[in-house]
Amino acid sequence: MPSHLNVPTKYWELTKEVPPPPIERDIKSWIIANPSDPLWDIDVLPLTYTDSRWSAFVVRVDEGTRQRLCPNPPLEVWDGENADLVEFWYVDHKNTMLGPYLEFGVTISATYKDPRGNVYKAGYYPYMYLTGDAPVDAGRVLGFPKKMSYIRCTVHGGEKGTDFFGFAMSRNGYLMHSATGQFDDKQVTPPHFYGKVDWGKFNMKVITRPDVSSSEWQLTYLPSELPAIFNVKGHRFQIKPEHTRTASGDAINWFMQATPFDNMGAELKVQEVTGLISFVFDLIIPPANVLWTETYERPASYRGYATPYKYGLRQQFPISQGS
Amino acid sequence: MGLQANEYSYPWLAEGEVPPLPRDRDRIHIISQGVADPVFDYDIIPLTYTESRWMAYVVRADISSMKAVVPEPIEVQDDVIEFWYVIHRNTMLGPYMEMGVTFSATVDSGDGQIYKAGYYPYMYLSNDSPIFAGKEPFGFPKKAAYIAGFEHGTNNNYFNHLMERRGYILHTANGRYSDKPLSTRPTFYGKTDWGRMNYRITTRPDVSNSIHEVTYLPSDLPPGFGTGHRFQLNPESIRTATGGDIRSWYMSGTPFDFMGGQIPATEVVGLISFTFNLIIPPALTIWSKTVERGDDDLGQILYSTPFKYTMRHRFLLPQYSQG
Repeated sequence: MPSHLNVPTKYWELTKEVPPPPIERDIKSWIIANPSDPLWDIDVLPLTYTDSRWSAFVVRVDEGTRQRLCPNPPLEVWDGENADLVEFWYVDHKNTMLGPYLEFGVTISATYKDPRGNVYKAGYYPYMYLTGDAPVDAGRVLGFPKKMSYIRCTVHGGEKGTDFFGFAMSRNGYLMHSATGQFDDKQVTPPHFYGKVDWGKFNMKVITRPDVSSSEWQLTYLPSELPAIFNVKGHRFQIKPEHTRTASGDAINWFMQATPFDNMGAELKVQEVTGLISFVFDLIIPPANVLWTETYERPASYRGYATPYKYGLRQQFPISQGS
Repeated sequence: MGLQANEYSYPWLAEGEVPPLPRDRDRIHIISQGVADPVFDYDIIPLTYTESRWMAYVVRADISSMKAVVPEPIEVQDDVIEFWYVIHRNTMLGPYMEMGVTFSATVDSGDGQIYKAGYYPYMYLSNDSPIFAGKEPFGFPKKAAYIAGFEHGTNNNYFNHLMERRGYILHTANGRYSDKPLSTRPTFYGKTDWGRMNYRITTRPDVSNSIHEVTYLPSDLPPGFGTGHRFQLNPESIRTATGGDIRSWYMSGTPFDFMGGQIPATEVVGLISFTFNLIIPPALTIWSKTVERGDDDLGQILYSTPFKYTMRHRFLLPQYSQG
């Protein structure tokens, strides 16, 4: 006789740690689909982080490259102090409302001037990668350009137990970046936006209609000072300075390349790896403001780049079983 | 120490293997974020599949449980569920594994038309690009999971499926094909007047509103692709197993995934497997509703306590395996 067993445990009826599914709640509390069991839910909010370790390589990038990666309109690249310093960062998130995950990103200093003359200053993210599906999707709602990839972040060893580092990222079988080295705690000049509460974060969200007839671009802005409801003064990145380590460029081994699936290694022309700044922090991510929108219409005759049933380089890579 | 290299070449472009870099295109050719390197790009259009292997368990569940997980205006039509795994070998999104649940359902669009379709309350995939290409424009309720599905042994007589997410097994089943007929099949099987439906929710970055839409994918082949059903089955590839042939079946609800708790199977009727080609056309929006939120409504979406992490925030660090 076959064995067929169903264990219909409804965890949300056992503990308040698990919210009931949206379908059992007021429709105003439905944030994403599906209402039977969304990828992430209201227990993600407010979105906080505790004791994450941020490890940011500081790289020098010329103005032409930065302009190319910051879409204009509506963005302008920052042309003031340390404008050419770009943050190239990994994070080990240990405790978050989206669970633990590893993350990677690139941040370029940029500005946006609205029609009334208000100037917004922020770090703009052209590239981001994460190891978890829920933080990718929750971030994409706010406009973050997140993809999934395999990421490793290691800070270990030596007298302090945090003297050596190793970082790596790959996707679809290609290595995108790897860096190793030893912290020497020498002075490293950070990107201009570091620690400044008048510098927020920019993202460009793209919402495409189900019939692909148009896509709306939205420039979103996350301020660095929190709304009063959060009852937190100062920058929403709350750094714990006793854990900060640095490495000079001479202490870093570095390799980066583009892949057929991910163009960062071709687009981000790194003139110099000036150093690494690594710190532990707590964080709150608030809702984002939409500063600018533009919609791009496609004709009914629109066709993409593919040829039906013909699969090329970008469609061929080892099959994954998921994680 | 201090050895550094950046390989900026992008040889696939000159050989015509990859589309132009996103920053070199008109913005109508960007269909998702990030705009410098989208998670899915216009080389997935038109979205076709070749020789995918579909393995669909046919199960019954309590129809009141099924209705309880389906939002207005979607109406469940019967208690027969398609509970399916797919090996996608050749697709415009690359190879990936997939699992989903399909109910027979209808929607009265309010303009005198009744749409009949398979409705998806749950879906899981192994790779990021097909997750977000399905989720963002169309509303497929996709999450990432570990998925194993295969046939093996003499004449591929044996089958096995397993799905896990965040350390919990959601489902497993295995057995042997007998090629005997099943006592019932899903209502929508093979019918071109039954399409596919999804429930899409698009939330503003500032959470001030959410747009709810029912999207509909017709089953007739799109213009220029001939006539008939867009699922093109190879009839010689069909294998079947009855409920008694399914040696083992285990399904469970988890703290992160409610499917097993919401729709436990009351009967495992059997398994139908087949090989097919597929085209996924743009989707119609057949119903929509905008839910606005004021400041007074924010309380009900802030379910968590800042910096306090619970059962749903604690699980093994995910390592995206498509590295």
